[in-house]
Amino acid sequence: MNWYLISPQLSLGALALIIVLLDLFLKEKRILGIVSAAGLALPFGFALSLWGHQETILSGMLAVDGFSLFFCFLFLGIAFLTLLYSTDYLPRIPRLHGEYYALILLSTTGFTFLAATGELISIYLALELSSLPLYALVAFLKDEKSTEAGIKYLLLGAIASATLLYGMALMFGLTGRTELSEIAQALAAGGIREPALLLGVVLLIAGFGFKMAAVPFHGWVPDVYEGAPTPITAYISVGSKAAGFAVILRVFYQAFGQPAWLHADWSLTIAVLSAITMTLGNVVAIWQGNIKRLLGYSGIANAGYLMVGLAAASNIGRSGVIFFLVAYTLANLGAFTAIIAISNKIESDLIEDYSGMARRAPALALILALCLISLTGIPPTAGFMAKVYIFSAGIQAGFLWLVIIGVVNSVISAYYYLRVVKVMFLSQPSSEEGVPSSGALRAALAITALGVLLFGVFPYVLLHLAENATLLP
Amino acid sequence: MSLLGEFGQIGLFLILVALFTITLVLLPIALRYVGLVPRKPSPAKSSTYECGMQTIGETWIQFNFRYYLYAIGFMLFDILAVFLFPWAVGFRGQLKAFGFIVMGIFFFILVVGLIFAWKKGALEWK
Repeated sequence: MNWYLISPQLSLGALALIIVLLDLFLKEKRILGIVSAAGLALPFGFALSLWGHQETILSGMLAVDGFSLFFCFLFLGIAFLTLLYSTDYLPRIPRLHGEYYALILLSTTGFTFLAATGELISIYLALELSSLPLYALVAFLKDEKSTEAGIKYLLLGAIASATLLYGMALMFGLTGRTELSEIAQALAAGGIREPALLLGVVLLIAGFGFKMAAVPFHGWVPDVYEGAPTPITAYISVGSKAAGFAVILRVFYQAFGQPAWLHADWSLTIAVLSAITMTLGNVVAIWQGNIKRLLGYSGIANAGYLMVGLAAASNIGRSGVIFFLVAYTLANLGAFTAIIAISNKIESDLIEDYSGMARRAPALALILALCLISLTGIPPTAGFMAKVYIFSAGIQAGFLWLVIIGVVNSVISAYYYLRVVKVMFLSQPSSEEGVPSSGALRAALAITALGVLLFGVFPYVLLHLAENATLLP
Repeated sequence: MSLLGEFGQIGLFLILVALFTITLVLLPIALRYVGLVPRKPSPAKSSTYECGMQTIGETWIQFNFRYYLYAIGFMLFDILAVFLFPWAVGFRGQLKAFGFIVMGIFFFILVVGLIFAWKKGALEWK
C-alpha cells in the first residue's frame, strides 16, 4: 500500500513522539514549543503535496480526498495557533510543558485521522486518539476546578463513546459491513426497514453530538470550558467541534444518503435539535458573567447554526458548514487569544473586570471586539458570510422555519456579544496599566483578525476551496 | 431458528439463574423466621476458628498510591504481548520483512513510552 497517502498524519504522530523524547533530554522547554510549531510545516507540506488525490487506502479504512485534506489543513492551523498563544499562558503552569506540547500534537493527529476515516472502526479509533489527550489537557492545571472539569469530561466522554459504539454495532448488525460506502450500498438497496436502523442513527447522532456540543449532549461544555486552561478551552472549542462536524458530515452524507425516507428522518431530527441547540445556547449565554462560560454557551449556539447546514443535506449545505467552521474557528480563536492576554494581566475571567480595556490595551480590545462581531454575524466579517451561506442552504432545503429561528437567535446573540464590547469601550478602566503580550501571541491575534476580515470581504477564496472539498466520490 | 429465538434460550436460562440465586439467598432467612434454625451465640462460637489469626489493626489500610503507575506500565507491555502472538504466528507466512518493520515501529513507540516513564521516575518506588 501507499504510505505516502497518510504521510500528514504519520509525520504529525512522529513529531509528537520526537517532542516526548526531546523533552527528556532538554532543560529549556521553550525550544520544545518552537520545534512543535515549526515541525507542523512537515505534515502541512505533505498535505499540500497530496492536494488533488482521490483515493482510499487500507481497504477503505482511510480516504484521501479534498474533504479530508481540507480538514487536515484546518486542524494543522488550529494546532499552530494553539501553540502560538500557549506561550503566554504556559508560565502559569508549573511543570510538564513537554507533555503539554506532545498531547496537543497527539490530539491533532487524532483529529486529522478522524477527517480521513471512511469506516466505522477507524472512526472510533481516531475519535479516541483525539479525545484521550484532551482529557489529560483539561485537567492540566491540577487545581480544583480544572480537575473537576477533567473528570467530568472523561466520564461524559466515555458515555458518549459507548453510545457511539452501540450505534455503530447496530449499523454493523443491520448491514454486515463497517465501510461507509458498503453501508450506503446495503441501505440504498432498500431492504432494511427496521426500527433498529433509526435507533442506530439516533445513537450515532448522540455520540457525534457530544463532540459537536449539541443540545442535549452539551452538559459538559460550560464546566469544561471554565475549568480547563484557557488555551485548551480554545483548542477544544474549535478542534472538537470541527472534528465532530467533519465526521458526521462524512458518515451521514456518505452512508445514510439513501433511501429517501431515512434521509428525511435524520435531516428532520437534526433540524429540530439545531433549533433547540441554538435557542438554549443563546438564551443561557445572556446570564453568564464569566467570559469563558459565555463563549462556551456561544459555542453551543454556533453548533446549532452549523447543524442547519447539516440538516440541509445538500452540497451547498456541506460547503456552508465547512465555511462556517473556518469562520467560527478564526473568530473564536482570536477571541480566546485576546482573553488569554487580558486575563493573564487582570487574573480574572469576569466580564465586569474587562471594563475600560479599550484604553488599557487598544489593539487587544479592538481585535476581541472584531471577533465577537464576527461571531454575532455582522458584516464585513467572515461570520456574516458564513451565516448567509448556511441559512441560504437551509432555505433551499425547505427549512424556512429553522432559518427564521436562526435569524432571531442571531439577534439575541448580539445582546451578549456586544455587552462585552460595551464594557470594554464605554466603561471606566479600573487602572491605567497596559496589558503585556508576547510576540507569538500577537502573531496569533494578527492571523485570526486578518482571516476574519479577509474571508468577510473576499469570501469566494474560501468558498471555492470549501466547494472543492465537498466533492466526494 | 431466528436470532430472537436463540437469544430467547439465553433469556430462559437467565430467568432460571435469577430464580436459583434468589431462592438460595432467601431460603435460610425464611427458615429462620419459621423457627427451624436456632440461634444461640456464645463467645466460643464466634471466635476465630482453628487456622484463623486474630487481626491486628483496621482492615482498611492505605496502599501506596504509586502502585497505579506500575499497573499502567504493565498494561503497556500486556498489550504489546497480545499483538506479538498473532504477529509471531503470521510471521513465517506472509508478513516477512514488511511485518518485521511494522512491528519494529510499534515496538519503538512502546519503548519510547518506557523510556519516558523511566526518565520521569515512574519506576522508582519512593
